[in-house]
Amino acid sequence: MRTKIKEYRTKHNLTQERLAEMVGVRRETIIYLEQGKYNPSLRLAHNVAEALQTTIDEVFIFDD
Amino acid sequence: MKTKKVFIAVAITTLIVAMVLISLEAYYVVVALVVGALLMGHRELWSLLRRRKLPPIDERVRENTGKSVRNGFIFFAVAVAFLMLPFSVRLVEAPDTVQVLGGLFISAGAVYLISYLFYDRVEPNLGEKGMRLLRIFLLVAGISLGAFIISVFLHNAIYGLFIHFFGADFWDRVGVADEPVFFFIAVIACPLAFAVGITGSLVLFIKGLFSKSK
Repeated sequence: MRTKIKEYRTKHNLTQERLAEMVGVRRETIIYLEQGKYNPSLRLAHNVAEALQTTIDEVFIFDD
Repeated sequence: MKTKKVFIAVAITTLIVAMVLISLEAYYVVVALVVGALLMGHRELWSLLRRRKLPPIDERVRENTGKSVRNGFIFFAVAVAFLMLPFSVRLVEAPDTVQVLGGLFISAGAVYLISYLFYDRVEPNLGEKGMRLLRIFLLVAGISLGAFIISVFLHNAIYGLFIHFFGADFWDRVGVADEPVFFFIAVIACPLAFAVGITGSLVLFIKGLFSKSK
């Protein structure tokens, strides 16, 4: 899984810590999400996409 | 709010258990308990000191905690079952309950802590390739441990059976003092493979633990 969290986060001028606060998770969780090392729940994926003002399929990309 | 409640509950429980353990004079368990609690809560303490607020318990923390508690419980149950066996058939004299329970709690705590660190840091940092390598190293260590026990049994069994069937001087007649194949496997090959497996696993675990994830 790849994500565009970092890209969107930079676009919206958000730090990892601020995004973590907005979504209600720890900063480490954002780090692992950005690196594609953690598969989030649908709720968390939705919250991240909402915080970044986009859609889930724009932020999370699943490679075959 | 929820994190605050959990943090306070853990701190109070640790304090009460520590006081009970001190009254039982199980000081080494107290030290282990306090060190374990500090290790587990170091992020919360650090955040409390720096930002005056606790980090949230998110789904990743909940998942990792759940899996670690499960591992600690399985270890505790299996260890108790194994300990019950020699005590129940009176192979061992009645043990000092405080010492045995203390040892069990420390070990189960260590299993919990190692599991948590593994799920929280090592697994995501190592990636697929690293995890495959770690699995191979652990498999080598496990197989060599099993092979050691089997080799010791087979070495003694073959040594005794050949004496039983071919006479007491059989091994002297064939020119070797002892059964050589399983002796070599048990004394040299298995410990060597075990050392390689454990060292490799430890190196990978530490590598994953201290990898920078920015």
